[in-house]
Amino acid sequence: MEIFTSKNKYRLSYQLAIIFLLLVSPFYITAQTVPPATINSELKGKVIDAANKEPLPGAVVRIKGTTHAVSTDNKGRFVFETGQKFPYTLLISFVGYQPREVIVSGSPAEIQLTENNNQLNDVVVVGYGTQTRKSLTGSVSTISVEEVKDKPVATFEQQLQGKAAGLQISASTGIPGDGMFIRVRGTTSINASNDPLYVIDGVYVNSNSLQNITTQGQANNPLSDINPNDIESITVLKDADATAIYGARAANGVILITTKRGKLNSAPKVTLNTYFGAAWAPKLWDLSTGPQHAELVNEMYRNSEADAIAANNTAAINTYRYVPFRALTDNPTASPAPRGLPQEQQTYDRLNKVFRTGFLQNYDASISGGNDKTTYYIGAGLNKQQADLKTNDFRRATFKINIDQKINDIFSIGTSNTLTQTYRTNARVGDGPQGGILQSALHTPTYLPEVNADGSPAKWAGFDNLDVLINNTNMNSTSNRLISNFYAEAKITPDLKFRSSWSIDYNNYKEFQYWNSLTNLGIANHNLGTSSISDNTVWTNEQTLAYNKTLGKHNFGALVGNSLQGTVLGTTLAQGTNFPNDSFEQIASAASTTSSSTKTSYRLSSFFGRVNYNYAGKYYAEFNLRADGSSRFGANHQWGYFPSAGVAWRIKQEDFLKNVSVISDLKLRGSIGVTGNQNNINDFASRGLWGAGANYQNNPGTIPTQLANPELKWESTRQINIGLDLGLFSDRLTLGADVYHKYTSDLLLNLPLATSSGFTSILENAGEISNKGFEISISSTNISRKDFRWTTNFNFSRNINKIEKLPIPVVAAYAAERMVQGLPVNSFFVYKQLYVDPQTGNAVYEDVDHDGKITSSDLQNVGTALPKFTGGLTNTFLYKGFDLSVFFNFVYGNKVYNNNAYFLEGGGTRDANRAIDTRQLDRWQQPGDITDMPRLTALGTNYTLSPTSRNIENGSFLRLSNVNLGYTIPKSVIEKIRLSSVRVYVSGSNLWLITKYRGPDPEVNVSSSSTVLGYDLGTPPMPRTLQVGANITF
Amino acid sequence: MKRLIYIVPFFILLGSCKKFLETQPQQQVDQSEAITNASSAGTAVNGMFNVLASNDYYGSNFPALSYLSAGDIQWTGSQSAPSEINKHLTSATNTNVGSAWTAIYKTISSANYIIATVPGINDPLFTTATRNQYLGEAYFVRALAYFDLARGWGGAQLILTPTITASDNKDIRRSTQAETYAQVLKDLDAAEPLVPTALNRNRVTQKTVWALKARFYLYLQQWAQAEQYATQVITTADYSLLKPYSAFFANSAVSTSESVFELAYTVSNTNNHSNWWLPPALGGRREWAPSDVLVGLLNNPLVGGGRSALIAQTAPPGNLWYGKLYYRTPLGTDPAYIIRTAELYLIRSEARAQQGNLTGALADLNAVRDRAGVTASTAATLPDILLALENERRVEFPFEADRWFNLVRTDRAQTLLSLPDKHLYLFPIPYSETLVDPNLAGANRNPGY
Repeated sequence: MEIFTSKNKYRLSYQLAIIFLLLVSPFYITAQTVPPATINSELKGKVIDAANKEPLPGAVVRIKGTTHAVSTDNKGRFVFETGQKFPYTLLISFVGYQPREVIVSGSPAEIQLTENNNQLNDVVVVGYGTQTRKSLTGSVSTISVEEVKDKPVATFEQQLQGKAAGLQISASTGIPGDGMFIRVRGTTSINASNDPLYVIDGVYVNSNSLQNITTQGQANNPLSDINPNDIESITVLKDADATAIYGARAANGVILITTKRGKLNSAPKVTLNTYFGAAWAPKLWDLSTGPQHAELVNEMYRNSEADAIAANNTAAINTYRYVPFRALTDNPTASPAPRGLPQEQQTYDRLNKVFRTGFLQNYDASISGGNDKTTYYIGAGLNKQQADLKTNDFRRATFKINIDQKINDIFSIGTSNTLTQTYRTNARVGDGPQGGILQSALHTPTYLPEVNADGSPAKWAGFDNLDVLINNTNMNSTSNRLISNFYAEAKITPDLKFRSSWSIDYNNYKEFQYWNSLTNLGIANHNLGTSSISDNTVWTNEQTLAYNKTLGKHNFGALVGNSLQGTVLGTTLAQGTNFPNDSFEQIASAASTTSSSTKTSYRLSSFFGRVNYNYAGKYYAEFNLRADGSSRFGANHQWGYFPSAGVAWRIKQEDFLKNVSVISDLKLRGSIGVTGNQNNINDFASRGLWGAGANYQNNPGTIPTQLANPELKWESTRQINIGLDLGLFSDRLTLGADVYHKYTSDLLLNLPLATSSGFTSILENAGEISNKGFEISISSTNISRKDFRWTTNFNFSRNINKIEKLPIPVVAAYAAERMVQGLPVNSFFVYKQLYVDPQTGNAVYEDVDHDGKITSSDLQNVGTALPKFTGGLTNTFLYKGFDLSVFFNFVYGNKVYNNNAYFLEGGGTRDANRAIDTRQLDRWQQPGDITDMPRLTALGTNYTLSPTSRNIENGSFLRLSNVNLGYTIPKSVIEKIRLSSVRVYVSGSNLWLITKYRGPDPEVNVSSSSTVLGYDLGTPPMPRTLQVGANITF
Repeated sequence: MKRLIYIVPFFILLGSCKKFLETQPQQQVDQSEAITNASSAGTAVNGMFNVLASNDYYGSNFPALSYLSAGDIQWTGSQSAPSEINKHLTSATNTNVGSAWTAIYKTISSANYIIATVPGINDPLFTTATRNQYLGEAYFVRALAYFDLARGWGGAQLILTPTITASDNKDIRRSTQAETYAQVLKDLDAAEPLVPTALNRNRVTQKTVWALKARFYLYLQQWAQAEQYATQVITTADYSLLKPYSAFFANSAVSTSESVFELAYTVSNTNNHSNWWLPPALGGRREWAPSDVLVGLLNNPLVGGGRSALIAQTAPPGNLWYGKLYYRTPLGTDPAYIIRTAELYLIRSEARAQQGNLTGALADLNAVRDRAGVTASTAATLPDILLALENERRVEFPFEADRWFNLVRTDRAQTLLSLPDKHLYLFPIPYSETLVDPNLAGANRNPGY
């Protein structure tokens, strides 16, 4: 550190003092570190819109060849006091307008800018920088936040559904803020993560749920801590050229989010957004009535007895001799005990008790603005949503502050901060009877009453009593989160920029569950309380040095940088049982307690660089390289290298197309590169380990937990992309098309071992997966008149996933799903029911190995949970002050395992243990019946085989995802009340669904595990919502 | 370029990358540091008992394979795996069978580590007695694990050394059932001189080894040895038949003199037994329940006697029968009963009967009957006594791992349970194992699955 002279030390502390002052009071600091130069000329000017002559505040005016730049004020005016002498050239730029070069020879000057009628000059946020759309060589999708902002969902990802080609988004349950299934160009991994990397204002944010206490088949989504209203733009980086700069974490794509910032020289602008709405489940399950249930069970008993007699099975003959639904006086002591005749049974509707119309409300307020040196954005939001399923509530309060400060012509600093508290009350959904609120409502037979004769809550079939759960479910979680970034930038020369940034994503996640003496878990444990705190910190420090130079027609850019990242996750869990009574909920009151804490961490060290070049805006080339070192891998393979290259040819710029007026833009792109993946593997995955906690008699015990694999290394994905961008009729019709081939090798795979080794698996680099596909997005302005405008956006993605190499098939967490070489991931393996024999009523399953028996070797593939294609269609109409957008999304070619049907269509064999779906009424009854629902019997394989193709269903759907009708009140009216814009709207989501799926909604997934998709078990369906709202600015 | 000075400190922060990328686990230790001294050897032995007692093994799953197969338990839940076993439609993909297999081999793996490392530990604080105890316990636990593999699946692969890298213990052929039983005896013989003689019902002592030897020789029909080892335990003052029957489990009793080997559970290490048995109102799932026939037998004062304490009924209007051998709070802290004194009496009874000592046989049988409060048996011939023993075991151990394996051992299962084929006498080799291990695939699988 001896390089610092005393003067330098002084200078440094001066700078630091400014930084400090800026952070505490950003609004009145005007730092002057460079003495004013000699003034040779003063230029006063104004920048206006060429079409409507309105002033343009916030436009940047620069004198060519210098770093001296000013911004226009809120009346579009600017003043230059400069050492330059007239005439000189001004460069004027403003977002959404074509930049201009103007030679000025005197003051004042009026400069007119023409609005961009195409997106070519749009600034697109890319990895460690921005580019104009026309200069992109990679495959990048941007999503217009404006278009989706009114969709009433808790997580911004859900707003993106169907909006970008190549991005598959599927909500797992209808609970707000719940986990999502997201893939950018397909599934590349089996055991490592398939989620894209999320970067918000340069901060790597954690997207893995920190949940530690089970809520069964759902997981709270940490990305719902982000207020969608604070987002300015979302960019999805898809191909290797765009993502390789993120190296080892980029194989599943990168989603870059930029939040809103103030504009230089703009008056304070206040924006208010609010809505109120309702959410309810449009369709529920169709359960048989009490009498129907009784008839079906009796029929199963009669058939089973007949089968038992035929098979001379004495035990079964005894079991099925008496039907359970018979007169109470009929053999009252025989087993099973009589329950009354079928027609005497009541029907109790539990589903309509547990589902409700949820109330939605949202309030957002923000203020943004800036002077010539400082800009600010301050936003606050409150979002409250009730799920369509009772006891699931979501509440998020956010506070956002972004500040940028130019210290002088060289230095500028800034900060982005999000502070969030998300509070949820949850319920247990999905599988598992204990406390499972939806299973209690859906799976309890409808003939069984909710209360016993003595008034006590009735509990049936292993489930909790529904009323008890509705009134006593006490589970909540609070996520406190800070996402913060601080940067300092130095323009060392006009062409050379240095930037250093420090980021943190800190998340403190608290959970609490209490099961009181009325619930089963409470009864069993004399009340059960669990408290957990997870504490996750991701910190990042990055430096970049960027250089840009234009020499004649040669445009050259370069970037080098380094990045250090650390992640520390700690959890503390405490559990208490045996409480004095229900009034005591805290674990301190419990007589018996257990607790534990865990901690794990990993680090990543990276170096990266990018070089790009273009000749005359015609020929583009880009090269990226990133080196990542990860603490997760052994010394042999700690470092991974991820290069990419991209080229583009803007054919429209060639002479032979210049005069073809129909074609307004034509570009060809190509890229190739390698990216990596190491997410979601154990932080110490390469080591041979013994774990503790295997106690016996309260003495500590240790057992072997993991086999070493010092050769473990990165998953790597090679991707080739060829793209075409076409604009016709002055870009009124634009088309983007991409074809890609992703090939992932060295899969991080939990390779099953023979368990005779004492281990079930070892993490190895084995297996290969390919994803091939194409994406098309079309955007068209169909009609553009003075008062009427109709635009259409359409996107379509096709992805073909295939496991190219897998040494051993992997059975997913839910056994019907498998990973098998030659098939897509998430393939379903079941016993295929060919038909129901019209003569006998027995299910005929395909005997794949022709051994005359149906055994596990007859399980066969009947499709995959991955869709063949997905897409979305948005039509927007503007008529005078009215705007209407109609958005459909669709998924085609996927299968869903209807596990609810497995339970609810058990042929009556589950008797009093499960409700029966009305589809069971279609069962075979007499010779000649043609049906796919076999004869009801507990013997044979009609209803004892699982899983079967009867429960595999077509999951394709077309959904009217959102309709939004707004009206912007004319300026003449609102100016009187000193507002600048008021829009009121009414919006509905999930209004219409076309599907062959028999459950309420095919977009469902019980598991938060990334290896499971399309598994429907006890999760609430997507709600239908209706809301009214207003957007006000002044 | 003076401004560059500001940039320099940022680069200094990069520091040494190599050190930056070194992180250490805090909840686990490297394999090489797992067993290094007396204390860590002790924790490894605790870990071995933990796996033996885990849910997938004696913590519920393995005994469930037996009683769900034995015809007296009805499936009342929703999960397909227990239903398959219950209906004798078990497939190779059955998850209960698969997880039991895995848990047994994990237990063997823990034992193998101890057997391989404990003799070489250089620690002055490691006394010979403790060292022998740990080794002996590991040999015993391995014997029990192979015994369960042999009676459940027939022959098994004999893994006798620890798996340290993924390439260890590969390509081990599947042994025959006889070879597997031979290994059980070898381990029991190794354990016998090493384990302590002092009483301990939750760990392994000389008596525990003798008790398992008695059962082992019964299965191998070596009646004299079976009788001898049963007698050696029965005559030890520490072991007796408690009266009434419920005394060994009711009122949260643990480690009573009924128990020869009983696995203990605490809140930090619980099991799943009661979860499957108890009705929802008591915090369980009642995934299975005693069949009406069994309820009838247990409630019959001439058959069940005091053993009716094993079952109870839910409140009206449900009135559902459930098993309540496993019932206590905190939930999951019921012991797992592996060898009870009653079994040793019944083993000796059968061994004596087979050797022609019908009087002695009847005396042992009636000791068990008397304890349960039922009248003495009057069986007079060998077949009568064998049938009486079969029926006694049925009501004495209905919720433990007993009846099924005995019906298979005596080849009575097919007749009594109307089994279509005797291949059902063995559980299937788990399908996932047949995929990864050629030694368990194809013709090496258990036939019929």
